[in-house]
Amino acid sequence: MKNLCLSLCVCLLSFGAIAQSKLTTSTGHIKFFSSTVAEDIEANNYKVLSTLSSDGTLVFSVPMQSFEFDKALMQKHYNSKKFLDTKQFPKAKFKGNISNIDDIDLTKDGTYTAKVTGALTIHGETNSVEEDLHLKVNAGQVMATTEFTIVLADYGVAFKDGKPSTNIAKEIKITATLDYK
Amino acid sequence: MRKYLKISAAIVVIGLGVVAYFWFMPHRDVQKTKAFAEIEAQTLVNEFLTDRAKANDRYLANDGDSKVLIISGEVVDRTVDQSGMQVVLVKTSPTDEMGVSCTFSLESNAQAKTLTPGTAIKIKGVIRSGAEIDKDLDLVEHVVLEKCAVVK
Repeated sequence: MKNLCLSLCVCLLSFGAIAQSKLTTSTGHIKFFSSTVAEDIEANNYKVLSTLSSDGTLVFSVPMQSFEFDKALMQKHYNSKKFLDTKQFPKAKFKGNISNIDDIDLTKDGTYTAKVTGALTIHGETNSVEEDLHLKVNAGQVMATTEFTIVLADYGVAFKDGKPSTNIAKEIKITATLDYK
Repeated sequence: MRKYLKISAAIVVIGLGVVAYFWFMPHRDVQKTKAFAEIEAQTLVNEFLTDRAKANDRYLANDGDSKVLIISGEVVDRTVDQSGMQVVLVKTSPTDEMGVSCTFSLESNAQAKTLTPGTAIKIKGVIRSGAEIDKDLDLVEHVVLEKCAVVK
């Protein structure tokens, strides 16, 4: 009887471990791109931390000072209080769920389109996001990619006049590539 | 009249020079910048866990040129990011929950490739963000250092 109880406990614990299996990356890449008549601006960040759980929970944390620009002055402006104020808000975060997780098998090789909904917090402002995430499962590794736009004003970044109002797009294109293991 | 023309030309040249300076201003050379502090990996982690706002204020800069630090500890893990840069995780002890994630640069990448777990090390780099346990997101986040190089 004692052995039976022990076996049952082990089975339940194993099931729990499987049920909560989680893929992670600390080397995700996010690029943002702004295009105006005046100039194109691009910045890259390779320090994105993210987890993708088998129950469909998707989480991101982005160290905002890790965005690198070609031009040093542009990077200084981006970090400053007038723009993203990265000292006050050093991380952007996202927490969401994959609504069609039952159609996706993260352990089986193949390509899937995940429907993601969640809350994105940048610059202390939170907005709901609904986007597709493309997943490619190959030998236990999952490569996830997505591309979407955000409106800067939704995150408390808006310029009424001056050079920023003409040189920075109102909508920014975000591209993410996440190498889960 | 000629005098005014000369003055105007000089002002235009100086103006263009100032614009060109800011336009082509190079990024800060982290390895040539004097380190703000030399600190154990776990001590740095603890500063953020104890009072994140205070640590952010101490180490992060408004313009993104945050403090250059020399951290010490033990190599626990080494990976490569999507841009091909080596990423070395340093902890005071391998059993510590959190440490410092150090991304190397084009100039220093080769020296990181020889690092193996268990090696005692000192690494210099610029801090990008602090350590954090985000219970809401169920995430454990290491301190992030970039443009790193081994201190010999």
